[in-house]
Amino acid sequence: MLKYILKRLISLLPVIIGATLIVYLILNMAQGDPARIILGENATPEAIAQLREEMGLNDPVLVRYGRYMLNLVHGDMGTSYRTNAPVSDEIFARLPYTLWLAAASIIICILLALPLGTIAAIKQNSFLDGLCMVLSLLGVSMPSFWLGLLLILLFSLTLGWLPPFGADEWKSVILPAFALAVSSMASVARTTRASMLEVIRQDYIRTARSKGISQGRVIRRHALRNAMIPTMTSIGIQVGFLLSGSVLVETVFSWPGIGRLMITSIQQRDIPTVLGCIIIFAIFFSIVNLIVDLLYGFIDPRMKSQYA
Amino acid sequence: MSDQKRHGSLALDIQGLVVEFHTLDGVVHAVNGLDLSIEQGTTLGLVGETGAGKTTTALSVLRLLAQPAGRIRAGSIRLDGEDLLAKSEQEMGKIRGKQVSMIFQDPMTSLNPVMTVERQIAEVIAHHTRLPERQAVEQARQMLETVGIPGERGSEYPHQFSGGMKQRVVIAMALACSPQLLIADEPTTALDVTIQAQVLEMMKQLRQTYQMSMLMITHDLGIVAETCDRVAVIYAGRIVEYGTLEDIFEHTLHPYTRGLFDSLPNLEDRTARLKPIPGLMPDPANLPEGCAFCTRCAYATDQCAQHRPERFYRTQEHYAECHRCRQICFEKGGSAVWE
Repeated sequence: MLKYILKRLISLLPVIIGATLIVYLILNMAQGDPARIILGENATPEAIAQLREEMGLNDPVLVRYGRYMLNLVHGDMGTSYRTNAPVSDEIFARLPYTLWLAAASIIICILLALPLGTIAAIKQNSFLDGLCMVLSLLGVSMPSFWLGLLLILLFSLTLGWLPPFGADEWKSVILPAFALAVSSMASVARTTRASMLEVIRQDYIRTARSKGISQGRVIRRHALRNAMIPTMTSIGIQVGFLLSGSVLVETVFSWPGIGRLMITSIQQRDIPTVLGCIIIFAIFFSIVNLIVDLLYGFIDPRMKSQYA
Repeated sequence: MSDQKRHGSLALDIQGLVVEFHTLDGVVHAVNGLDLSIEQGTTLGLVGETGAGKTTTALSVLRLLAQPAGRIRAGSIRLDGEDLLAKSEQEMGKIRGKQVSMIFQDPMTSLNPVMTVERQIAEVIAHHTRLPERQAVEQARQMLETVGIPGERGSEYPHQFSGGMKQRVVIAMALACSPQLLIADEPTTALDVTIQAQVLEMMKQLRQTYQMSMLMITHDLGIVAETCDRVAVIYAGRIVEYGTLEDIFEHTLHPYTRGLFDSLPNLEDRTARLKPIPGLMPDPANLPEGCAFCTRCAYATDQCAQHRPERFYRTQEHYAECHRCRQICFEKGGSAVWE
C-alpha cells in the first residue's frame, strides 16, 4: 500500500515537468518584456537592457526553464515581478482559501449529485427522472461565472442573505462554492444515474431483494456502494474542472484564492507567479486523483490487489 | 375436497397465473395461465427450455418481477393457503427470505461483490429475527459450516471463492431463516459437472434436514430424476405435462416431453444420434392461436394449429395438454407411444 502511494507520488514528477514546460513555453511566446513591465513605460532602453541581463532573460528559453526548475527543487518558486515578494509566500497565503472553496464545492457537489442521480435511476423514465436530468443538463450548460452573477443578484442584492464577495465570514463561501459546484454536480449526477441504472439490474440486487429487505435498504446497502466506483472516477475528473472553474468564480466573487491570483498575474505578465499557481494546481489535481484511486480499494475489495 | 382443505395441504399453489412484460416492442406473454402446486415436504421439478417462463414463474412467487415492465395479469399464488398477490410490499418483506427463499442461477453474479459473505448472510438473519449484527454474523458463520465452508472464511469477499463455493454461500443465505419453500432456479447450471453433483447432493440432504418443500427449476432431466417427486413440464408459459416422476419418465405423454428425452445423449447406444427438437420456442410476444408447440411438433394436425388443447388425464394426477396424445393413447390402449 505504502509502496503504491510512493510509486504514485513519484509518477507526479513527469506530470509537473510536462505541465510547467508547456506553460513556460507558451508564456514565453505570449509575454511582453518582463523588464519593461517591472520598470514601467518610461524606463530608458539602457535600464531595460541592464535588467534583462540581470534577470538572465537573454538566455535561451530552455536554459531559463532549466534554471527555474532547479530553483523549484530547492523550494524557490522565484520572485513575483509584480510585488517583488517570493512567489511561494504569495501562493501559500492564498492556498487555504482555494482549498476551502474547492472542498466546500466538492462537498456540495457530492451531496447534491448522489441523491439526484440515485433518485433519477430508481425512478427511471418518470417525471422525477426527467426533472433531475433537466436540472443537471441546465447545470452543465450554465457558465459558472454567469451563474455566480445571478446568485449574487438574488441572494446578496435582492434577498440580502449572503455576502456578495470577499472571504470575511464562513457564509461567504456558500455562493462561490455553489456556483462552482453546479456544473460538476450535473456531470457527477449523470454518471451516478448511469452507473446506478447498471447496478440495480444486477443479479445481486435481486438476491438482496429476495432476502426481504426494503427497497431503500437495498439501494443504500447494496447498490450505492457498487455504483460509487464510476462515480468516484467522475468526481476525481471534476476536481480538475473545479480548479479551472475556480479561476473564474474567484474573480466574480473577489475570493482571495489562487485562481484570482493567477488571473491578476496573467494580466500583469507576472510569469513566476503564474507558473507557481499552475504547479500547485497540477499537484492538487494529481493528489486528489491519487486519493480517488486509493478510495477504490476501500469501496471495492477486488481492487486491493492492484496496490501490490 | 373443499378449497380450504386443498390449500392447507399445499406448500405452494399457483392457479391460472398470467404474467406479461410490457416493453417498447409490445407485450410479451411470458406466462399464460399456469397451474402449479407443490405438496408440503415434496420437490417439484419445473422443466423446460430457456425462455419457457420458468424464472418468471419463480420471480412471480416472490413478487420480484422486473419493474415496471413485469405485471401479474391474472391468477392466484397461494403460499401455505395465504394469497401472496394480496400482500403489500411490506408484508412481502416478511415473506421473502423467511417463508420463501430463492437460489439463483448464476452464483458468480448473485452475490454482492463489495460485501463480505458473512455479512450478506447475516443481513437476511438480522432482517427476519431482529438479532443484533454480531449474533447474526455468528449464525451466518454457522450456516457456512452447514454448507461445508469453514466459518472463518465468512470475512472474505465473493471474488475470493470458487464458483461452487459461491453457490454454497448462496444456498447458505437462502436457508439461513429455514424457509418453508425453497425455489432453486437452475442451481447447478453454472457449475462444473463434478461440483454439480456435490451441490445437488448437499441440497437434497438440507431439504430433508430442514423439512422444506422445493421448487426445482431446471432444464436438466438428470437433475429432475435425481431430486424431484413430481415434475411439471413448462412450454411457452404453460404446464404442458404434469405428473409424478414415474409418470413423466415411464409414461411420457406430451411430444415436447418426449423431445426433451430424445435430446439427451444415450450412454447405452452411443451410435444413436441425438434428436434435438427442431425449431425454437415461439416468440412470446406473438404466440400461435392453438397449441404453442404445434409449429415444432411432428404429430401436429390442423386442429392443433387452431385450438388450444384441453388437458388429457392419463391418471388422476398425470396429465398433458395435447390433442394428439388423447387419440394416440386410446389407439394404443392406455399408454401413449411416440415413435
